[in-house]
Amino acid sequence: MSTSRPTVDGVTGSIGEFVEGRITNSHLALFGLGFVGVFFVLPILLLVPESLAFGTGEPLQAYRRATRGIYVDAFVRSFLYGIVTTAVTLALAYLLSYFMAFGTKRVRLTMTLVIVPLWIAYIVRYFGILLFLSPAGPFADLTGIEPSLLFTTPAVIIGLSNVYLPFAVLPIYNSLNAIDGELISASRVLGASQWRTLAAVVFPLSLPGLVAAGLIVFILAAGSFLGPAVLGGPNQTMIANEIAGAFLNNFNIRFASALAVIYSILLVGALLVFNTVFDLREVLGNI
Amino acid sequence: MSGRSLPSPRRVGLLAAVVAVFAFLLVPVIIVVITSFTPQSFPGIPQEGLSLRWYGELLADESLLNALKVSLIVATASSILSAIIGTIAAFGFVRGEFPYKEQISTIMLLPMIISPVITGIALVRYFGSLSLPSGYPALILGHTVLSLPYVFLLVRSELVTYDKDLERASRVLGAGPAATFRHVTGPIISPAIIAGSFIAFVVSFGEFTATQFLISPGTSTVPVVIYTMLRTGLTPTINALSVVLIVVMLVVALSSRRLSSA
Repeated sequence: MSTSRPTVDGVTGSIGEFVEGRITNSHLALFGLGFVGVFFVLPILLLVPESLAFGTGEPLQAYRRATRGIYVDAFVRSFLYGIVTTAVTLALAYLLSYFMAFGTKRVRLTMTLVIVPLWIAYIVRYFGILLFLSPAGPFADLTGIEPSLLFTTPAVIIGLSNVYLPFAVLPIYNSLNAIDGELISASRVLGASQWRTLAAVVFPLSLPGLVAAGLIVFILAAGSFLGPAVLGGPNQTMIANEIAGAFLNNFNIRFASALAVIYSILLVGALLVFNTVFDLREVLGNI
Repeated sequence: MSGRSLPSPRRVGLLAAVVAVFAFLLVPVIIVVITSFTPQSFPGIPQEGLSLRWYGELLADESLLNALKVSLIVATASSILSAIIGTIAAFGFVRGEFPYKEQISTIMLLPMIISPVITGIALVRYFGSLSLPSGYPALILGHTVLSLPYVFLLVRSELVTYDKDLERASRVLGAGPAATFRHVTGPIISPAIIAGSFIAFVVSFGEFTATQFLISPGTSTVPVVIYTMLRTGLTPTINALSVVLIVVMLVVALSSRRLSSA
């Protein structure tokens, strides 16, 4: 070892001298961007010409098909379920975050309990909810009540809220934790009740985290495939399921691409509307 | 408001609500684990003793063991690739100077924002046009792209707080750029790189939605097999396989957390 070591240093050293000055840090950034560009951005952009199908006998045919009722329903459902899931998740996440910021000293333990589910595959967590809700499952075993929620809209909302809850806790907790304790004491000293302090001081100051959390949960929930696939029935199909179905069941890449393009345009549109109310750049800075 | 204050009714109420939300969050996973030990042929709560019967079935099933092997190979290969590429990119974005740096760096995060269903069809279509076969090549490249943002974020935040004077000192004392990297920069940031690659492993190991488009016959991953089994009916074999998945993911993630907090 001791005899070979100087040689290794000598070789890497001369490579280093050669490389220095020729490869700058900007080149390194370009390498990362190039990889994401070639294996992610380009493939996604190529869905646009694929869906338009100019140069074939029937250009835009896929788009005409996408305006049919069942697909419009799937688009509407994605946005509706996305909004309802976001509302439910934010309420639950706010409760947990408030408790972690002001109600306990065991922050590390509670934070671990919030984060551990993030490390477990979605499919396993949805499977757990499926078991819990199934009429012959553990819930029925223990209580004798047969739950009838499975393959309904509430089941899908429960699943989506469960799975995306940790994503909402992190930004809300960070913004609550950053509130200066002096402000809360000042509010109390000046005679405000605990509820009034919460409504007039704590809540407004936590709004940036809440908005960031809402944005993350909405984007994830609206584009979810597994939630409706495992917990929903035919009347809970969301857009991700239609895109996957077009490709996997009917091998219709053109139509799947058209749905993906329409969904992306609608999502960007929704983000632009969101941007007029909350400054998107400021929100992203909070994530 | 401290943890030691007397239990007021309001505090008890808050505590009960918090416990309920934690139950909501964690009970599904706990149920999967508990019902995997049932001796019956339906995943119910074992009331007449625990049994490892379904783990035995798992070990006897070639196709399930093969899925486990595929998942391990794909997660290992893609996490190594995304550790290398993510680290290089993080160096470039922290140390490089070019216009619109912050805005451009969000491109690196796109794979975690775009719906994985769209990523999946885009990649399978693209790989097809490049005649890159489905199965291992497509899975490894796809998972590398999907896990790259996590490594990038972790290593970037480590580099931002890194003290550059250490490198200057090394250079002033006569070490070349390669020796400085090997003996100074590398050892300091390597925990972040390893932690990032472990998170990439976890992301790859659990990925389903994009993966379902990239598999070929014989290269199903564990999440895909679980999904397919769920569609055909509930058996406790799904639980046993899920528990294996949970254990692998938690062990890797916990070691990553230990490394990044050290």
